[in-house]
Amino acid sequence: MTVDAVRDIFRRVLEPDASSVGPPGVGAPGIGADSDFFALGGDSLLATRVLSAVARECGVELTFDDLLRAPTPAGLAGTIARTIASVPR
Amino acid sequence: MRVVVVGAGLAGLTAADDLAAAGADLTVLEARDRVGGRTHGIEVAAGSWVDAGGAYLGDRHTRLHALLSELGLKTTPTTMTGASRFALDAGGQPQTRPGRFPPLRAVALGELFDRLDQLATAVRVDAPWLTPDAATLDSLTAAQWAEQNLPHRDARRFFPLFLGELMAADPATVSLLHVAFYLRSGGGAGYLNAFQGGAQQDRVDGGAHQLCQLLAGRLGQRPRRSGRLGQRLRLAEPVRAIHQDGAGATVHAAGGAYHADAVVVAVPPLLADAIEFRPELPVRRAGERTGRGCAVKVHLVYPAPLWREHGLSGWSLSTAGPLLSTVDDSPPDGAVGVLTGFVTGAQARQFAGRTAAAQQAAVRAQAAHLFPQLPPPISVHITDRLTAQYSRGCYAALFGPGDWTRRGPHLTTPHHWVHWAGTETSTEFFGLMEGAVRSGHRAATEILSRYQPAGRSQ
Repeated sequence: MTVDAVRDIFRRVLEPDASSVGPPGVGAPGIGADSDFFALGGDSLLATRVLSAVARECGVELTFDDLLRAPTPAGLAGTIARTIASVPR
Repeated sequence: MRVVVVGAGLAGLTAADDLAAAGADLTVLEARDRVGGRTHGIEVAAGSWVDAGGAYLGDRHTRLHALLSELGLKTTPTTMTGASRFALDAGGQPQTRPGRFPPLRAVALGELFDRLDQLATAVRVDAPWLTPDAATLDSLTAAQWAEQNLPHRDARRFFPLFLGELMAADPATVSLLHVAFYLRSGGGAGYLNAFQGGAQQDRVDGGAHQLCQLLAGRLGQRPRRSGRLGQRLRLAEPVRAIHQDGAGATVHAAGGAYHADAVVVAVPPLLADAIEFRPELPVRRAGERTGRGCAVKVHLVYPAPLWREHGLSGWSLSTAGPLLSTVDDSPPDGAVGVLTGFVTGAQARQFAGRTAAAQQAAVRAQAAHLFPQLPPPISVHITDRLTAQYSRGCYAALFGPGDWTRRGPHLTTPHHWVHWAGTETSTEFFGLMEGAVRSGHRAATEILSRYQPAGRSQ
Protein backbone atom coordinates (compact mmCIF):
# COMPACT_ATOMS: atom_id res chain seq x y z
CA MET A 1 0.00 0.00 0.00
CA THR A 2 1.45 3.38 -1.02
CA VAL A 3 1.99 6.32 1.27
CA ASP A 4 -0.70 8.17 -0.70
CA ALA A 5 -3.17 5.35 -0.18
CA VAL A 6 -2.59 5.48 3.59
CA ARG A 7 -2.89 9.24 3.51
CA ASP A 8 -6.21 8.85 1.76
CA ILE A 9 -7.42 6.50 4.52
CA PHE A 10 -6.35 9.06 7.15
CA ARG A 11 -8.27 11.73 5.26
CA ARG A 12 -11.46 9.68 5.00
CA VAL A 13 -11.37 8.64 8.66
CA LEU A 14 -10.54 12.11 9.96
CA GLU A 15 -13.19 13.87 7.90
CA PRO A 16 -15.65 15.38 10.31
CA ASP A 17 -18.51 12.97 10.81
CA ALA A 18 -20.98 13.38 8.00
CA SER A 19 -23.41 13.04 10.85
CA SER A 20 -22.07 15.85 12.95
CA VAL A 21 -24.27 18.63 14.17
CA GLY A 22 -22.23 21.79 14.46
CA PRO A 23 -18.69 22.67 13.58
CA PRO A 24 -16.27 19.88 12.76
CA GLY A 25 -14.09 18.62 15.57
CA VAL A 26 -11.24 17.50 13.38
CA GLY A 27 -10.28 18.41 9.87
CA ALA A 28 -7.95 16.94 7.35
CA PRO A 29 -6.28 19.77 5.52
CA GLY A 30 -2.67 19.22 4.67
CA ILE A 31 -2.14 15.62 5.76
CA GLY A 32 1.45 14.96 4.78
CA ALA A 33 3.46 11.78 4.55
CA ASP A 34 4.84 12.53 8.00
CA SER A 35 1.68 13.85 9.68
CA ASP A 36 0.90 12.11 12.96
CA PHE A 37 -2.59 10.60 12.99
CA PHE A 38 -3.12 11.38 16.65
CA ALA A 39 -1.80 14.93 16.33
CA LEU A 40 -4.30 15.42 13.49
CA GLY A 41 -7.13 14.75 15.92
CA GLY A 42 -7.34 10.98 15.55
CA ASP A 43 -8.28 9.02 18.64
CA SER A 44 -8.40 5.34 19.43
CA LEU A 45 -11.85 4.84 17.96
CA LEU A 46 -10.88 6.47 14.67
CA ALA A 47 -7.61 4.53 14.74
CA THR A 48 -9.52 1.25 14.60
CA ARG A 49 -11.21 2.50 11.45
CA VAL A 50 -7.82 3.18 9.83
CA LEU A 51 -6.86 -0.39 10.65
CA SER A 52 -10.10 -1.88 9.32
CA ALA A 53 -9.63 0.12 6.09
CA VAL A 54 -6.06 -1.16 5.76
CA ALA A 55 -7.29 -4.72 6.30
CA ARG A 56 -10.03 -4.27 3.71
CA GLU A 57 -7.82 -2.67 1.11
CA CYS A 58 -4.68 -4.79 1.36
CA GLY A 59 -5.55 -7.78 3.48
CA VAL A 60 -3.08 -6.96 6.27
CA GLU A 61 -4.30 -7.02 9.85
CA LEU A 62 -2.29 -4.60 11.96
CA THR A 63 -2.68 -3.99 15.67
CA PHE A 64 -3.46 -0.79 17.51
CA ASP A 65 0.14 -0.75 18.76
CA ASP A 66 1.40 -0.90 15.15
CA LEU A 67 -0.34 2.39 14.51
CA LEU A 68 0.92 3.86 17.79
CA ARG A 69 4.49 2.96 16.76
CA ALA A 70 4.08 4.29 13.20
CA PRO A 71 1.30 6.88 13.27
CA THR A 72 2.16 8.60 9.96
CA PRO A 73 1.24 7.65 6.36
CA ALA A 74 4.90 7.02 5.54
CA GLY A 75 5.46 5.04 8.73
CA LEU A 76 2.32 2.93 8.40
CA ALA A 77 2.97 2.23 4.69
CA GLY A 78 6.41 0.95 5.78
CA THR A 79 4.84 -1.29 8.43
CA ILE A 80 2.39 -2.65 5.88
CA ALA A 81 5.18 -3.36 3.38
CA ARG A 82 7.29 -5.15 6.01
CA THR A 83 4.30 -7.19 7.18
CA ILE A 84 3.52 -8.29 3.62
CA ALA A 85 7.20 -9.14 3.00
CA SER A 86 7.36 -11.23 6.17
CA VAL A 87 4.42 -13.41 5.19
CA PRO A 88 5.64 -16.50 3.33
CA ARG A 89 3.99 -16.88 -0.04
CA MET B 1 -51.01 34.17 28.95
CA ARG B 2 -50.99 31.49 31.63
CA VAL B 3 -48.58 28.60 31.10
CA VAL B 4 -48.07 25.53 33.25
CA VAL B 5 -44.77 23.67 32.89
CA VAL B 6 -44.78 20.08 34.10
CA GLY B 7 -41.30 19.04 35.25
CA ALA B 8 -38.52 21.18 36.72
CA GLY B 9 -35.62 19.47 35.01
CA LEU B 10 -33.34 21.16 32.54
CA ALA B 11 -35.89 21.09 29.69
CA GLY B 12 -38.82 22.37 31.75
CA LEU B 13 -36.86 25.13 33.44
CA THR B 14 -35.28 26.25 30.15
CA ALA B 15 -38.77 26.56 28.65
CA ALA B 16 -40.03 28.30 31.80
CA ASP B 17 -37.13 30.74 31.73
CA ASP B 18 -37.82 31.73 28.12
CA LEU B 19 -41.56 32.03 28.75
CA ALA B 20 -41.15 34.07 31.93
CA ALA B 21 -38.73 36.39 30.12
CA ALA B 22 -41.43 36.92 27.50
CA GLY B 23 -43.93 37.84 30.19
CA ALA B 24 -45.98 34.67 30.54
CA ASP B 25 -47.80 34.03 33.79
CA LEU B 26 -46.02 30.87 34.73
CA THR B 27 -46.38 27.94 37.11
CA VAL B 28 -43.90 25.08 37.20
CA LEU B 29 -45.08 21.85 38.79
CA GLU B 30 -42.48 19.38 39.95
CA ALA B 31 -43.19 15.95 41.40
CA ARG B 32 -39.96 15.72 43.37
CA ASP B 33 -39.05 17.85 46.37
CA ARG B 34 -36.19 19.37 44.38
CA VAL B 35 -35.50 20.80 40.95
CA GLY B 36 -33.03 19.27 38.49
CA GLY B 37 -34.70 16.08 37.29
CA ARG B 38 -32.01 13.82 35.94
CA THR B 39 -29.26 16.23 37.00
CA HIS B 40 -28.46 15.91 40.66
CA GLY B 41 -25.45 16.80 42.79
CA ILE B 42 -24.06 14.93 45.76
CA GLU B 43 -21.63 16.55 48.18
CA VAL B 44 -19.05 13.79 48.70
CA ALA B 45 -16.80 15.91 50.94
CA ALA B 46 -17.18 19.42 52.34
CA GLY B 47 -17.54 21.66 49.29
CA SER B 48 -16.85 18.85 46.80
CA TRP B 49 -19.79 18.02 44.57
CA VAL B 50 -20.13 15.24 42.05
CA ASP B 51 -22.79 14.63 39.44
CA ALA B 52 -25.08 11.76 40.30
CA GLY B 53 -26.97 12.52 37.08
CA GLY B 54 -26.11 14.23 33.80
CA ALA B 55 -22.50 15.37 33.92
CA TYR B 56 -20.60 15.80 30.68
CA LEU B 57 -20.58 18.21 27.80
CA GLY B 58 -18.57 19.03 24.69
CA ASP B 59 -17.93 22.03 22.47
CA ARG B 60 -20.76 21.13 20.10
CA HIS B 61 -23.22 21.50 22.97
CA THR B 62 -23.66 25.14 22.08
CA ARG B 63 -26.99 25.91 23.75
CA LEU B 64 -25.84 24.37 27.01
CA HIS B 65 -22.63 26.37 26.85
CA ALA B 66 -24.65 29.54 26.22
CA LEU B 67 -26.84 28.79 29.23
CA LEU B 68 -23.83 28.07 31.44
CA SER B 69 -22.19 31.37 30.62
CA GLU B 70 -25.48 33.24 31.05
CA LEU B 71 -25.78 31.74 34.52
CA GLY B 72 -22.14 32.44 35.37
CA LEU B 73 -21.14 28.77 35.59
CA LYS B 74 -17.73 27.49 34.50
CA THR B 75 -16.64 24.17 33.07
CA THR B 76 -13.72 21.99 34.04
CA PRO B 77 -12.05 19.42 31.77
CA THR B 78 -12.50 15.70 32.34
CA THR B 79 -8.98 14.37 32.79
CA MET B 80 -7.95 11.29 30.86
CA THR B 81 -4.18 11.01 30.97
CA GLY B 82 -2.29 7.88 31.84
CA ALA B 83 -2.82 4.19 31.51
CA SER B 84 -6.07 2.26 31.71
CA ARG B 85 -7.08 -0.94 33.44
CA PHE B 86 -8.86 -3.70 31.54
CA ALA B 87 -10.66 -6.73 32.92
CA LEU B 88 -12.06 -8.31 29.78
CA ASP B 89 -11.43 -11.99 30.47
CA ALA B 90 -13.70 -13.68 32.96
CA GLY B 91 -11.68 -14.79 35.96
CA GLY B 92 -8.41 -13.36 34.62
CA GLN B 93 -6.29 -10.67 36.21
CA PRO B 94 -6.91 -7.12 35.02
CA GLN B 95 -4.18 -5.66 32.84
CA THR B 96 -2.74 -2.18 32.50
CA ARG B 97 -2.35 -0.68 29.03
CA PRO B 98 -1.27 2.76 27.89
CA GLY B 99 -4.11 5.01 26.71
CA ARG B 100 -7.72 4.01 26.44
CA PHE B 101 -7.55 1.26 23.84
CA PRO B 102 -8.75 -2.14 25.07
CA PRO B 103 -6.75 -5.33 24.45
CA LEU B 104 -9.08 -6.47 21.69
CA ARG B 105 -8.55 -6.91 17.93
CA ALA B 106 -8.44 -3.41 16.55
CA VAL B 107 -9.60 -4.45 13.08
CA ALA B 108 -12.68 -6.12 14.58
CA LEU B 109 -13.58 -2.94 16.48
CA GLY B 110 -12.85 -0.87 13.36
CA GLU B 111 -15.36 -2.94 11.41
CA LEU B 112 -17.91 -2.42 14.19
CA PHE B 113 -17.42 1.34 14.07
CA ASP B 114 -17.48 1.33 10.24
CA ARG B 115 -20.83 -0.44 10.31
CA LEU B 116 -22.25 1.83 13.01
CA ASP B 117 -21.11 4.84 11.01
CA GLN B 118 -22.90 3.53 7.91
CA LEU B 119 -26.10 3.11 9.92
CA ALA B 120 -25.81 6.55 11.51
CA THR B 121 -25.02 8.27 8.20
CA ALA B 122 -28.09 6.74 6.56
CA VAL B 123 -30.52 7.99 9.25
CA ARG B 124 -32.84 10.92 8.57
CA VAL B 125 -31.90 12.53 11.86
CA ASP B 126 -34.72 15.09 11.92
CA ALA B 127 -37.30 12.39 11.19
CA PRO B 128 -35.88 8.90 11.84
CA TRP B 129 -39.15 7.25 10.82
CA LEU B 130 -38.55 8.53 7.26
CA THR B 131 -35.13 6.86 7.03
CA PRO B 132 -34.88 4.54 4.03
CA ASP B 133 -35.77 1.09 5.31
CA ALA B 134 -36.92 2.51 8.65
CA ALA B 135 -39.45 -0.27 9.16
CA THR B 136 -36.76 -2.96 8.93
CA LEU B 137 -34.27 -1.09 11.09
CA ASP B 138 -36.98 -0.47 13.68
CA SER B 139 -38.03 -4.12 13.74
CA LEU B 140 -34.61 -5.32 14.92
CA THR B 141 -32.97 -5.06 18.29
CA ALA B 142 -29.32 -4.00 18.37
CA ALA B 143 -28.45 -7.49 19.65
CA GLN B 144 -30.11 -9.17 16.65
CA TRP B 145 -28.16 -6.89 14.33
CA ALA B 146 -24.88 -7.62 16.14
CA GLU B 147 -25.51 -11.34 15.88
CA GLN B 148 -25.90 -11.06 12.10
CA ASN B 149 -23.30 -8.41 11.33
CA LEU B 150 -20.38 -8.76 13.70
CA PRO B 151 -18.39 -11.84 12.74
CA HIS B 152 -15.54 -11.17 15.18
CA ARG B 153 -15.95 -12.31 18.76
CA ASP B 154 -14.10 -9.24 20.03
CA ALA B 155 -16.59 -6.92 18.32
CA ARG B 156 -19.51 -8.82 19.84
CA ARG B 157 -17.83 -8.62 23.27
CA PHE B 158 -17.19 -4.92 22.97
CA PHE B 159 -20.58 -3.89 21.56
CA PRO B 160 -22.61 -4.21 24.82
CA LEU B 161 -19.92 -2.30 26.73
CA PHE B 162 -19.96 0.42 24.11
CA LEU B 163 -23.76 0.78 23.98
CA GLY B 164 -23.91 0.64 27.76
CA GLU B 165 -21.38 3.37 28.22
CA LEU B 166 -22.67 5.53 25.39
CA MET B 167 -26.42 5.34 25.85
CA ALA B 168 -27.06 3.12 28.89
CA ALA B 169 -28.66 0.58 26.59
CA ASP B 170 -28.97 -3.17 26.69
CA PRO B 171 -28.57 -4.30 23.04
CA ALA B 172 -31.23 -6.96 23.61
CA THR B 173 -34.01 -4.42 24.08
CA VAL B 174 -33.11 -1.26 22.14
CA SER B 175 -34.23 -0.75 18.54
CA LEU B 176 -31.47 -0.68 15.92
CA LEU B 177 -33.08 2.41 14.39
CA HIS B 178 -32.84 4.10 17.78
CA VAL B 179 -29.13 3.26 18.08
CA ALA B 180 -28.45 4.61 14.58
CA PHE B 181 -30.48 7.74 15.34
CA TYR B 182 -28.84 8.27 18.73
CA LEU B 183 -25.34 8.10 17.26
CA ARG B 184 -26.24 10.55 14.51
CA SER B 185 -28.11 12.89 16.83
CA GLY B 186 -25.13 13.10 19.18
CA GLY B 187 -22.62 13.86 16.43
CA GLY B 188 -21.46 10.33 15.55
CA ALA B 189 -19.95 7.47 17.52
CA GLY B 190 -16.54 9.15 17.55
CA TYR B 191 -17.81 12.39 19.05
CA LEU B 192 -20.09 10.65 21.54
CA ASN B 193 -17.33 8.32 22.68
CA ALA B 194 -14.54 10.87 23.05
CA PHE B 195 -13.50 12.74 26.15
CA GLN B 196 -11.09 15.37 24.81
CA GLY B 197 -12.66 16.79 21.65
CA GLY B 198 -15.88 14.89 22.30
CA ALA B 199 -19.08 14.81 24.30
CA GLN B 200 -17.30 14.09 27.61
CA GLN B 201 -14.69 16.84 27.28
CA ASP B 202 -15.90 18.93 30.20
CA ARG B 203 -18.01 18.91 33.34
CA VAL B 204 -19.74 21.79 35.08
CA ASP B 205 -17.41 23.08 37.80
CA GLY B 206 -19.24 22.43 41.07
CA GLY B 207 -21.86 20.19 39.46
CA ALA B 208 -24.45 20.30 36.67
CA HIS B 209 -27.26 20.45 39.22
CA GLN B 210 -26.48 24.16 39.65
CA LEU B 211 -28.03 24.85 36.23
CA CYS B 212 -31.55 24.07 37.41
CA GLN B 213 -31.03 25.67 40.80
CA LEU B 214 -29.98 28.92 39.18
CA LEU B 215 -32.77 28.78 36.60
CA ALA B 216 -35.30 28.20 39.40
CA GLY B 217 -33.83 31.08 41.35
CA ARG B 218 -34.08 33.39 38.37
CA LEU B 219 -37.70 32.33 37.85
CA GLY B 220 -38.52 33.36 41.40
CA GLN B 221 -36.96 36.77 40.91
CA ARG B 222 -38.88 37.76 37.80
CA PRO B 223 -41.68 40.17 38.60
CA ARG B 224 -45.16 38.80 38.04
CA ARG B 225 -47.14 40.94 35.68
CA SER B 226 -50.48 39.72 36.89
CA GLY B 227 -49.77 40.77 40.45
CA ARG B 228 -51.32 37.56 41.66
CA LEU B 229 -49.78 35.98 44.71
CA GLY B 230 -48.30 32.53 44.80
CA GLN B 231 -45.10 30.77 43.97
CA ARG B 232 -44.11 30.12 40.40
CA LEU B 233 -42.44 26.83 41.32
CA ARG B 234 -44.33 24.17 43.22
CA LEU B 235 -42.37 21.16 44.44
CA ALA B 236 -43.79 17.80 45.51
CA GLU B 237 -46.67 18.44 43.15
CA PRO B 238 -46.99 15.39 40.85
CA VAL B 239 -49.34 15.87 37.92
CA ARG B 240 -52.04 13.25 37.50
CA ALA B 241 -54.16 14.47 34.60
CA ILE B 242 -54.42 17.14 31.93
CA HIS B 243 -57.91 17.90 30.71
CA GLN B 244 -58.45 20.20 27.74
CA ASP B 245 -61.31 21.93 26.01
CA GLY B 246 -61.69 24.78 23.55
CA ALA B 247 -60.82 27.34 26.21
CA GLY B 248 -57.58 25.86 27.47
CA ALA B 249 -56.17 23.19 29.72
CA THR B 250 -56.61 22.20 33.34
CA VAL B 251 -53.67 20.48 34.93
CA HIS B 252 -54.70 18.30 37.86
CA ALA B 253 -51.91 17.85 40.37
CA ALA B 254 -51.70 16.41 43.85
CA GLY B 255 -52.28 19.82 45.46
CA GLY B 256 -54.93 21.28 43.19
CA ALA B 257 -55.97 22.19 39.67
CA TYR B 258 -54.18 24.76 37.52
CA HIS B 259 -55.80 26.40 34.52
CA ALA B 260 -53.62 27.40 31.60
CA ASP B 261 -53.69 28.68 28.05
CA ALA B 262 -50.78 26.39 27.27
CA VAL B 263 -48.92 23.55 28.95
CA VAL B 264 -45.37 22.27 28.51
CA VAL B 265 -44.95 18.64 29.48
CA ALA B 266 -41.23 18.25 30.12
CA VAL B 267 -40.92 14.80 31.66
CA PRO B 268 -39.52 11.55 30.21
CA PRO B 269 -41.88 9.59 27.93
CA LEU B 270 -42.54 6.86 30.49
CA LEU B 271 -43.68 9.49 33.02
CA ALA B 272 -45.67 11.50 30.47
CA ASP B 273 -47.46 8.28 29.66
CA ALA B 274 -48.60 7.98 33.27
CA ILE B 275 -50.52 11.28 33.01
CA GLU B 276 -54.18 10.91 32.10
CA PHE B 277 -55.01 13.03 29.05
CA ARG B 278 -58.55 14.08 28.14
CA PRO B 279 -59.02 14.04 25.21
CA GLU B 280 -56.68 11.13 24.84
CA LEU B 281 -53.38 11.36 23.01
CA PRO B 282 -53.51 10.10 19.42
CA VAL B 283 -50.51 7.89 20.22
CA ARG B 284 -49.15 7.16 23.66
CA ARG B 285 -45.78 8.64 24.61
CA ALA B 286 -44.32 5.24 25.45
CA GLY B 287 -45.21 1.63 24.87
CA GLU B 288 -44.44 -1.83 26.15
CA ARG B 289 -41.09 -1.92 24.40
CA THR B 290 -39.97 1.59 25.39
CA GLY B 291 -37.10 0.98 27.75
CA ARG B 292 -35.73 2.83 30.71
CA GLY B 293 -32.17 4.03 30.32
CA CYS B 294 -30.26 1.46 32.30
CA ALA B 295 -27.59 3.26 34.29
CA VAL B 296 -26.60 3.19 37.92
CA LYS B 297 -23.89 5.69 38.76
CA VAL B 298 -21.42 4.85 41.49
CA HIS B 299 -18.98 7.29 43.05
CA LEU B 300 -15.90 5.91 44.77
CA VAL B 301 -14.34 8.59 46.93
CA TYR B 302 -10.61 8.52 47.79
CA PRO B 303 -8.52 10.95 49.88
CA ALA B 304 -6.99 12.23 46.60
CA PRO B 305 -6.77 11.10 42.93
CA LEU B 306 -4.29 8.43 44.06
CA TRP B 307 -4.36 6.48 40.78
CA ARG B 308 -2.52 9.34 39.10
CA GLU B 309 0.51 8.57 41.28
CA HIS B 310 0.52 5.11 39.68
CA GLY B 311 0.40 6.54 36.16
CA LEU B 312 -3.26 5.54 35.78
CA SER B 313 -6.00 7.68 34.27
CA GLY B 314 -8.74 6.07 36.35
CA TRP B 315 -10.32 4.71 33.18
CA SER B 316 -11.18 1.03 33.23
CA LEU B 317 -13.34 -1.42 31.34
CA SER B 318 -14.67 -4.67 32.78
CA THR B 319 -16.91 -7.24 31.14
CA ALA B 320 -17.94 -8.95 34.37
CA GLY B 321 -19.18 -5.80 36.14
CA PRO B 322 -20.95 -4.59 38.05
CA LEU B 323 -18.91 -1.48 37.12
CA LEU B 324 -18.46 -1.76 33.35
CA SER B 325 -16.31 1.35 33.24
CA THR B 326 -14.74 3.87 35.59
CA VAL B 327 -13.59 7.42 34.93
CA ASP B 328 -11.75 10.07 36.95
CA ASP B 329 -14.36 12.64 38.02
CA SER B 330 -12.31 14.29 40.76
CA PRO B 331 -13.19 17.89 41.57
CA PRO B 332 -10.64 20.24 39.98
CA ASP B 333 -9.33 21.45 43.35
CA GLY B 334 -8.11 17.90 44.12
CA ALA B 335 -9.62 18.04 47.61
CA VAL B 336 -10.75 14.44 47.12
CA GLY B 337 -10.33 11.84 44.40
CA VAL B 338 -13.47 10.53 42.76
CA LEU B 339 -13.82 7.60 40.41
CA THR B 340 -17.23 7.40 38.79
CA GLY B 341 -18.29 3.88 37.96
CA PHE B 342 -21.01 3.08 35.45
CA VAL B 343 -23.26 0.07 35.84
CA THR B 344 -25.18 -0.01 32.59
CA GLY B 345 -27.37 -2.09 30.33
CA ALA B 346 -28.37 -5.56 31.48
CA GLN B 347 -25.92 -5.30 34.41
CA ALA B 348 -27.81 -2.28 35.75
CA ARG B 349 -31.10 -4.16 35.90
CA GLN B 350 -29.49 -6.97 37.91
CA PHE B 351 -27.59 -4.58 40.14
CA ALA B 352 -30.64 -2.43 40.89
CA GLY B 353 -32.40 -5.52 42.22
CA ARG B 354 -29.80 -6.15 44.93
CA THR B 355 -29.83 -4.82 48.50
CA ALA B 356 -27.83 -1.67 49.28
CA ALA B 357 -25.40 -3.74 51.37
CA ALA B 358 -24.87 -6.23 48.54
CA GLN B 359 -24.33 -3.37 46.07
CA GLN B 360 -21.72 -1.76 48.33
CA ALA B 361 -19.93 -5.09 48.83
CA ALA B 362 -19.87 -5.87 45.11
CA VAL B 363 -18.53 -2.43 44.20
CA ARG B 364 -15.82 -2.50 46.87
CA ALA B 365 -14.73 -6.01 45.88
CA GLN B 366 -14.50 -4.99 42.24
CA ALA B 367 -12.56 -1.82 43.06
CA ALA B 368 -10.03 -3.87 45.04
CA HIS B 369 -9.65 -6.31 42.14
CA LEU B 370 -9.39 -3.59 39.46
CA PHE B 371 -7.17 -1.20 41.39
CA PRO B 372 -5.14 -3.29 43.89
CA GLN B 373 -2.64 -0.42 44.09
CA LEU B 374 -5.28 1.83 45.75
CA PRO B 375 -6.51 1.79 49.34
CA PRO B 376 -10.21 1.04 49.85
CA PRO B 377 -12.42 4.03 49.02
CA ILE B 378 -13.42 6.30 51.91
CA SER B 379 -17.00 6.13 50.79
CA VAL B 380 -19.11 4.70 47.98
CA HIS B 381 -22.22 6.53 46.76
CA ILE B 382 -24.69 4.65 44.61
CA THR B 383 -27.34 6.49 42.60
CA ASP B 384 -29.99 4.32 41.02
CA ARG B 385 -32.10 6.23 38.51
CA LEU B 386 -33.35 3.08 36.95
CA THR B 387 -35.94 2.54 39.63
CA ALA B 388 -36.32 6.18 40.74
CA GLN B 389 -40.05 6.92 40.77
CA TYR B 390 -39.72 10.25 38.99
CA SER B 391 -37.00 9.36 36.51
CA ARG B 392 -37.77 5.84 35.35
CA GLY B 393 -34.38 5.45 33.81
CA CYS B 394 -31.22 7.33 33.01
CA TYR B 395 -29.56 8.65 30.87
CA ALA B 396 -32.74 8.75 28.75
CA ALA B 397 -35.59 6.60 27.48
CA LEU B 398 -34.52 3.89 25.06
CA PHE B 399 -36.86 3.48 22.15
CA GLY B 400 -37.61 -0.15 21.53
CA PRO B 401 -38.56 -1.83 18.29
CA GLY B 402 -41.50 -0.04 16.68
CA ASP B 403 -41.30 3.09 18.83
CA TRP B 404 -39.77 5.43 16.26
CA THR B 405 -41.99 4.32 13.40
CA ARG B 406 -45.13 4.52 15.54
CA ARG B 407 -44.43 7.40 17.94
CA GLY B 408 -41.80 9.38 16.09
CA PRO B 409 -44.19 11.42 13.92
CA HIS B 410 -45.93 12.63 17.12
CA LEU B 411 -42.75 13.37 19.08
CA THR B 412 -43.12 17.16 19.10
CA THR B 413 -46.63 17.61 17.71
CA PRO B 414 -48.69 19.63 20.21
CA HIS B 415 -51.77 17.90 21.62
CA HIS B 416 -54.22 20.81 21.61
CA TRP B 417 -52.68 23.20 24.17
CA VAL B 418 -50.03 20.76 25.34
CA HIS B 419 -46.49 21.15 24.00
CA TRP B 420 -43.69 18.67 24.54
CA ALA B 421 -40.18 19.15 25.88
CA GLY B 422 -37.52 16.89 27.38
CA THR B 423 -34.32 15.53 25.91
CA GLU B 424 -36.29 12.68 24.33
CA THR B 425 -38.15 15.20 22.17
CA SER B 426 -34.97 16.66 20.72
CA THR B 427 -33.66 15.13 17.52
CA GLU B 428 -30.46 17.08 18.17
CA PHE B 429 -28.34 15.60 20.98
CA PHE B 430 -31.15 13.30 22.11
CA GLY B 431 -30.59 11.97 25.60
CA LEU B 432 -28.04 14.62 26.57
CA MET B 433 -28.32 17.82 28.60
CA GLU B 434 -27.86 19.70 25.31
CA GLY B 435 -30.96 17.98 23.92
CA ALA B 436 -32.93 18.97 27.02
CA VAL B 437 -31.94 22.64 26.67
CA ARG B 438 -32.74 22.68 22.95
CA SER B 439 -36.13 21.06 23.57
CA GLY B 440 -36.97 23.67 26.20
CA HIS B 441 -36.17 26.54 23.87
CA ARG B 442 -38.19 24.90 21.09
CA ALA B 443 -41.29 24.38 23.26
CA ALA B 444 -41.15 27.99 24.48
CA THR B 445 -40.79 29.27 20.91
CA GLU B 446 -43.75 27.18 19.78
CA ILE B 447 -45.96 28.63 22.49
CA LEU B 448 -44.83 32.21 22.02
CA SER B 449 -45.30 32.11 18.26
CA ARG B 450 -48.70 30.49 18.67
CA TYR B 451 -50.10 32.93 21.19
CA GLN B 452 -48.34 36.22 20.89
CA PRO B 453 -49.39 37.16 17.35
CA ALA B 454 -52.99 36.63 18.45
CA GLY B 455 -52.53 39.20 21.21
CA ARG B 456 -53.33 36.77 23.96
CA SER B 457 -50.18 37.45 25.89
CA GLN B 458 -50.47 39.78 28.80
